[in-house]
Amino acid sequence: MTATTCVNTVLGPVEADELGVVAVHEALLSVLPGAQYAFDITIDRVEVFETLAAKLTEFRAAGGGTVVDATGMFHGRDVRLYEALSRTTGVHIVASTGQGPEELLGGYFLTPQTNPPTPWPAEKWADLFGQEVTDGMVVPRVERRGAAGLVTTAVTRAGATATDTELLKGAARAALATGVAVSFRVGADPLAELETVLGEGLAADRVAVGGLDRVDMSGLAAKIAERGAYVVLDHIGTEGGELPTDAERVALVADLVGAGLGDRVLLSSSATGVAKGHPATDVAFSHVLTSFVPALRAAGVSEDDVHRLLVANPAALLALR
Amino acid sequence: MSHVNTVLGPIPTAELGFVAVHEHIGYGMPGSELDTKWWKTPEQRYEETVPKLRRFHENAAPYGGATFVDATGICNGRDVNYYQSLSEKTGVHIVASTGFVGGDTALPFFERASVDYLYRQFVHEITVGIGNTGGKAGIIKVGVSRGFKMKELDLRIYRAAARAALETGVPIFTHLAVDVEPAIDIFREEGLPLDRVLFGHADDGVSQGKVRDRWIAEQGGRIGFDTFGYDLELPDPPFWGRPRQERLDHFLGYLRDGLVDSVLASADANCSPLGWPGVKGHTVNYLFETLLPALREAGVDEATIHRIFVELPADFLSIKTLVKD
Repeated sequence: MTATTCVNTVLGPVEADELGVVAVHEALLSVLPGAQYAFDITIDRVEVFETLAAKLTEFRAAGGGTVVDATGMFHGRDVRLYEALSRTTGVHIVASTGQGPEELLGGYFLTPQTNPPTPWPAEKWADLFGQEVTDGMVVPRVERRGAAGLVTTAVTRAGATATDTELLKGAARAALATGVAVSFRVGADPLAELETVLGEGLAADRVAVGGLDRVDMSGLAAKIAERGAYVVLDHIGTEGGELPTDAERVALVADLVGAGLGDRVLLSSSATGVAKGHPATDVAFSHVLTSFVPALRAAGVSEDDVHRLLVANPAALLALR
Repeated sequence: MSHVNTVLGPIPTAELGFVAVHEHIGYGMPGSELDTKWWKTPEQRYEETVPKLRRFHENAAPYGGATFVDATGICNGRDVNYYQSLSEKTGVHIVASTGFVGGDTALPFFERASVDYLYRQFVHEITVGIGNTGGKAGIIKVGVSRGFKMKELDLRIYRAAARAALETGVPIFTHLAVDVEPAIDIFREEGLPLDRVLFGHADDGVSQGKVRDRWIAEQGGRIGFDTFGYDLELPDPPFWGRPRQERLDHFLGYLRDGLVDSVLASADANCSPLGWPGVKGHTVNYLFETLLPALREAGVDEATIHRIFVELPADFLSIKTLVKD
């Protein structure tokens, strides 16, 4: 890694090799769009700050360096709060731009005041997301702050809608234009969804593919990694239902590393520091460090590979290119 | 005592004066707040808004007061603190709405909510307040999603609104009066008298041929001629615009046929739009500057004008304890 590669954090650019251990797909304040207007939901800034600061401090004490808030621009992102949290805790915070899947979008994007109400196409998404990198992330109707460090989107679980596809393309174009990477959560057909992103000309190693630690996705992680994209096992610490156990995840990571794909794997929990309007994923940001990594070591994964998974891979992904 | 919830607190109905029953301080589709192309500084927003409200207040002076009913609803840029400051400084009574412009302006949290939750949301905003502003909603907004067809979510919102209207006594107004049969079925099933519902935008250009306004009036519903001023004669009219004379003739038909008590009129103008360009030159004051002169020229007398803009909206907006059938 050259010394000039930078990552956009909420407090400004940081050298990629200063990030340390990165929790690459988490949520700080996670608000289901609309919940901010609910009569029975209170978002108390002091309480939210104290809760998040405690969790970030605990993450740092466990050896963590950087948390990526990977929920995009319309799911509770609060850039000013994240700046204060980063200053207070010393944890680097990378915030993301992007939106999706279709079901989480506001009507402005789906039924605009035109006749007919045509949903937004890729080029408009590319502009909206790209400007959050080049000009700064929005505090709605108030101001722009620091640059986004990642573009995120997601595909509808039942399969990509036409708008999801436009979102994937728009995210890819924004990444190409600005140098940040793309992270997306898969829907029903991860390989095809990845090809949609790559079809825009983005290099595969600028793409992180999340949601691959679902039981119905077995075998796809290796294929995604072989294609050159990053595989994000992003529900570590949550088991049952459609999700495998951490023990099964350990086996998957060991297999990927054994197959020489260790430089294409990322680990995360999709933990929600504070969740409003939807169930929390109440896993510590440090869970990967304190629980999962010891299990990896026990399964024979080397220190070099652990370093790759936690430090080098996320730094390479997040470094502007 | 007969009263109405304004953003600054309940006021006696007798104080309302001239009522513009379907207006917007500023409307923007949910998500438009993320797109900087529409952003305005606070200076610009007040600069665009205050003179219009001041003029509205002056125009309404002969009627004893000026009341502006904001039809923006939840998720569309409704900003009650701002309305409170505008009302306090200009003297215009502002009535805020709970509810949604339509299903496609309800964000995912509400899209996933049950009828009962939506009902409790509306009742809370009417009886306790909107957010932490202390301002209570005085009316419930509902509407038809794009496509002129009621969607399942629209119907859920209508039913919740009907229950909240019955419980609290505030009225309902609708965005669009098309595909109205399922709406009327819901109001009847819930026992809400149809004179507590203003079926809005019955006069807009795109609804013509799709809206059964005379039938709605026969059922007892109120008919909203509330897009006055969105005239196709404008330099850059919106897609829902209509020839000025055609809309006026449509309205005069009701007066001629003795149906004045079935109608309410407004301009649906934005003082300072939030997520769209708006229509240049179109303000709530169209009602005074263009509509009233046109009505007088057509032979409508002052008593009728007073009935349309003072007495009928006062009756409509009054909080009424209703007995369920």
